[in-house]
Amino acid sequence: MNNQVSLTELEDGQTAVIITVNGGRQLIKRLADLGITSGTEIKIIRKTLLSGPVQVEVSGSRLVLGWGLADKIVVEGYG
Amino acid sequence: MAEEHKINIVLAGQGNAGKSSVFNYLTGLHQHIGNWAGKTIEKREGTLFYKGHTIDVLDLPGIYSLTTYSVEELIAREYIIQHHPDYVINVIDSTNLERHLIFTLQLLELECPVILVLNMTDLAKKKGITIDLRKLQETLGIPVIPAVASRGTGLSEVIDKAIELKGKKSDHPVHPFGKEIERCISRLSELLKEVSLPYPVRWIAIKLLEKDHEVVKLVKKRNPEIIHEVKRLEKELEEIHGHDSSIVISDERSHLASHITRETVKIAVHKEISLSDRLDAVTTHKVAGYLIMVLILGGMFMAVFGFGNWLSGLLGNLIGNWHAWWSTTVGVTFGASLGWSAIESVLALFQIAFPYILPFYVLLYILENWGYIARISFLMDKLMHKMGIHGKGCISFIIGLGCNVPGCLSCRIMESKRERFITAVLVTMVPCSAVSVIVFGLVGKYVGILWALGLYVFAMILIFITGKISSKLVKGEPVELIMPMPDYKTPHLKTILLQTWDSLKEFVFIAAPIVIISGVVIQAIHLAGWMPAISSFLSPVTVQWLGLPAITGILLIFGILRKELILVMLAAYLGTTNFSDALTSQQMIVLAVVSMFYVPCVATISVLWKEYGWKKALLVCVVETAGAILLAGILKRVMDIF
Repeated sequence: MNNQVSLTELEDGQTAVIITVNGGRQLIKRLADLGITSGTEIKIIRKTLLSGPVQVEVSGSRLVLGWGLADKIVVEGYG
Repeated sequence: MAEEHKINIVLAGQGNAGKSSVFNYLTGLHQHIGNWAGKTIEKREGTLFYKGHTIDVLDLPGIYSLTTYSVEELIAREYIIQHHPDYVINVIDSTNLERHLIFTLQLLELECPVILVLNMTDLAKKKGITIDLRKLQETLGIPVIPAVASRGTGLSEVIDKAIELKGKKSDHPVHPFGKEIERCISRLSELLKEVSLPYPVRWIAIKLLEKDHEVVKLVKKRNPEIIHEVKRLEKELEEIHGHDSSIVISDERSHLASHITRETVKIAVHKEISLSDRLDAVTTHKVAGYLIMVLILGGMFMAVFGFGNWLSGLLGNLIGNWHAWWSTTVGVTFGASLGWSAIESVLALFQIAFPYILPFYVLLYILENWGYIARISFLMDKLMHKMGIHGKGCISFIIGLGCNVPGCLSCRIMESKRERFITAVLVTMVPCSAVSVIVFGLVGKYVGILWALGLYVFAMILIFITGKISSKLVKGEPVELIMPMPDYKTPHLKTILLQTWDSLKEFVFIAAPIVIISGVVIQAIHLAGWMPAISSFLSPVTVQWLGLPAITGILLIFGILRKELILVMLAAYLGTTNFSDALTSQQMIVLAVVSMFYVPCVATISVLWKEYGWKKALLVCVVETAGAILLAGILKRVMDIF
């Protein structure tokens, strides 16, 4: 089992399971309503230069998350 | 009309689900449809006459959830609860079933009759997604109808279903949460039965546990005891789950959606990478993406200008002698002159609207429907963050290049009030097509094209700095970008034309009254002979500080109406369009800088006023005018040195 890392540490194309989101209640809820919640698989489609936004795929949907937000998502089991 | 032949339906769904296409198809009314999420904010209603029934259709704002994060979400929720529509038509994107089902589950909690429309089944098929309709229908306990709204397929079945089921008592399917949550819900439901509230009891119980601000407030007013009990139960739940109770509920809902999706959806694994994915990879590429963006936007800008200058010249010739005709037919009395200024204002508005705004919108909507605008937001997010807003703000900037009015209106796509205001302020500094007419017509033509382009770079730097400053000054936390990335799809001509028509109409309706009134007022001041007094009053600023001819004082006042009037009136005053007779190169640059940044035009001011209140609108005008004059004066002195 891999260590827990922030989503932003994953490379393009890697998939991992969301463990938790480090953030306020509002943010966690907002993400959960979009399907980004613990136990869900998340795939990095692509990151951008210089800590720009991250494009991800969660439960079949493509989303763009700001870097600061992606950084708050903790994942594990990537590969 | 017999009561049983009247049906009320509302359309609900997340952004990008194609809700607006359904609305357009059903009612024949025109509406925005877009690729960027949550764009429809106005209330749109329409009526459909179908098989002897009168069906009232209301389009609710596209939202992500029924928890109150934003005004739109509150509007949608309150409407459904208070107006008891016969049916809520929940339009969802078949290619993103899971995410959209979370919303559907929330709708069902409201205990309203729901018909689920699985839209974009054609795209799902292309992607190899098969959805077991019968199973989905059984699991959810509501009618499910497949559709392709952009072509109208499946929509009459939706209405047939609504007619067929109307009046039949529908039982509200309950999708239970986990054991502990259900126990809390039952306990609260017991207590809530004593309190009479116009909402379903179970729904209130759920929302209390979700710590929904509005619902908590409501219950607290009626019976504060219940809130104590809620607090106790929340604590219990948090001890069991190790999470805040509101998150536990969202999590369970999201997992339920995930479970239903797994049970009903099969995705054929296809090895081929789709065209959309390949395009996506190139257009969001770290290097190539930016190059493509510059090419696309640059090309768009040049195309609009090329077309605009041609058509504007043509229109100018066409209406060139109308004034003479007016003077000979109606006369040159005080009233006739005022009448003419009203007409002239409208004509001038159309001279901007058709040559420049119209092609601009067509191209913008092509890019939007294709899916490219979301890519621009993605590419620009980082830079926009430095200005305290996120990538979506870039869309407003691009629209602002055409005209600041729709640019400011489009700031509604930003999530928080803070973001909306900062974006709107920055948009007012984006050189619109009227300002571009001045920059290119004066500086570009007589000083050099490089100077003109330099002014654009200067504008960008200034916008960036203003963004940095205002993100510090305007209170509140910056919001991070959360945006669905749409697939690239072939734009529909009909959709683009409808959107263009709609936006053009909005522009004309907002701008026309203001432009006419202020046109008449300024003309009245002119006829009253107060202009020389005004220009000498302004001369300390115009002549001494900026080093411009005194006449520019009046020009800048006319410029508040529409910025390109500065150039038009200068030509009228000089009796020639050879501006180098009257102004030195330095004066042209100074005049252009003032014109670019001083007070936004009246139409833009009116939008700021409408959206953010008169205090903020006034503040923006004062600060920008003072800033522009200060800056241009400093620029003059710097140029004096060289």
